Amino acid sequence: MLWLGVFFLIPLIVVAAYSVNALSLFPSDSGISFHDWGRFLRGESVYMDLFWKSIRMALSVSVIVVVLAYPLGYYLALVAGKRKYVLLLLVIVPFLTSYLLRVLAWRVILGSEGVINTLLYTTGLREPNDPVPWLIYSQFTVILVLVYVWVPFVALPIFVTLENLDTSMLEAGNDLGANRWGVFWRVTLPQSVPGIAAAFVFVFIPTIGEFVTPSLVGGTKGTMFGNAISSLFINGLDWQTGSVLALFLVIVVGALMVFSSRFLRLRDLESI
Amino acid sequence: MDAAASPGGRRGLSVFYVLLIVFLYAPIAVLMVFSFNDNRLVTFPLAGFTTRWYRLLFENAELLDALKVSMVIAAISSVFAVGLGVLASYALGRRRFRGKGPVSALLFSPLVIPYVVFGIALLILFRAVDDFLIPRFGTYIGLGIHSIVIGHVVVSLPYTILTIAPRLERLSVYVEEAARDLGAGPASTFLRVTIPLLLPAIVSAYLIAFTLSFDEYAIASFVAGDVTTYPLYLYGQVRIRIGLPQMIAVSVIVLVASMVLIAATEIWRRREEARLAV
Repeated sequence: MLWLGVFFLIPLIVVAAYSVNALSLFPSDSGISFHDWGRFLRGESVYMDLFWKSIRMALSVSVIVVVLAYPLGYYLALVAGKRKYVLLLLVIVPFLTSYLLRVLAWRVILGSEGVINTLLYTTGLREPNDPVPWLIYSQFTVILVLVYVWVPFVALPIFVTLENLDTSMLEAGNDLGANRWGVFWRVTLPQSVPGIAAAFVFVFIPTIGEFVTPSLVGGTKGTMFGNAISSLFINGLDWQTGSVLALFLVIVVGALMVFSSRFLRLRDLESI
Repeated sequence: MDAAASPGGRRGLSVFYVLLIVFLYAPIAVLMVFSFNDNRLVTFPLAGFTTRWYRLLFENAELLDALKVSMVIAAISSVFAVGLGVLASYALGRRRFRGKGPVSALLFSPLVIPYVVFGIALLILFRAVDDFLIPRFGTYIGLGIHSIVIGHVVVSLPYTILTIAPRLERLSVYVEEAARDLGAGPASTFLRVTIPLLLPAIVSAYLIAFTLSFDEYAIASFVAGDVTTYPLYLYGQVRIRIGLPQMIAVSVIVLVASMVLIAATEIWRRREEARLAV
């Protein structure tokens, strides 16, 4: 507890101090000011737009991931039978390998001199040195790579919820005259809402603050909020604005967490 | 009749599963192919088979150093993360105390904090401490392996708790009580009964923490100072596109090693837990 207190809470408090200029990188006597907070919240800087763009991208990623992972979880939990744990492990293993590597792999594949483009050149489908423009350094790339990264992970909570589903309820629904789609819409899907919500939150929250993937495959078009924070600290030396953005992100994420904690049951994951 | 899916539905879902597996493994397969490709550039057409990149990487001192640094950091930070994880799980699972709710919320909050924010916060903290120390004592802490270790312990702690706590929960309190009745003190009960029974969970928690730290880029990028970890090195090399095949080759080694390790321990853990079933 002490460890977290010292190395987790205190750093965040220091960030808060920076954001209102109580501490600053260069000695100044301007005193505490909410100037940068005001500028940011009134949307006078570019960062508010960037924030909404990140939210939109995170939403797309989460929706796509859940849509892909749901049939996967459904297949594993209710259809696959005895081999389901082996098949599940096969899905999860990529998630346990290096995150950076998996992003790197996509960079190698989608780059303008990458696997797909040079394959198109050699097969004559496209003129050499005329790479497909949206393949890399675009929002599409960032979303694709993030979906790739999160699908295996999200299959877990969905699998667990469906696995715990009482299958006799499905049969009951069936006996009472519902066909398979009826059973699915009126029994299975409503019962798996907690798993879906958990999966959604698990992807959405880390994706808003994402900065490694966009900086590797996003270029300028795929920049996200996290990149802005990082560059304000590393290149811009505007620690005050950076702290405002960082703290804002923490507040948003915290609020999301509190809001979703009724759906989120960490215990669901523990039973794996 | 099977209420979950019609025969057609089953087939559709199986196909979907296979497609998704292809999607998940194809990039990894591509990496593997190009790590053996005899061309300095990672492009088609394939230029023939070579193991040059694997040979070269063992002569690359910078890369080997970076790998060593990452292993040291991962080894140390996982020891702390597991140690604290055991204590925290014990406190959460076996003790009642005031403020349990807020404490467990605090313990799990590193799961959701954006790493970029946490990395920056740590950086600022170290700076603030140094700003305080230098004028008064003429000394400073600076950044380096220690700051990365601190950051990694914070973010891996929730994972170690999530691995250890459920195991502790399934462990019957009666086993511990029996040990106490047979005359063992609280400390020796903990060390000689609880810990050995938790061992499988502790081992997999250690591995999870190790992998997490070994691979962690975001936090390290802010608090590394002039130390280069493996992810930092990889990131730098990938951006400038020089020596890409070598990077791919080392990635493949790390990838295969981690997959084998993870699969092996997962199997071992399940078997061991079944054997120790209490």
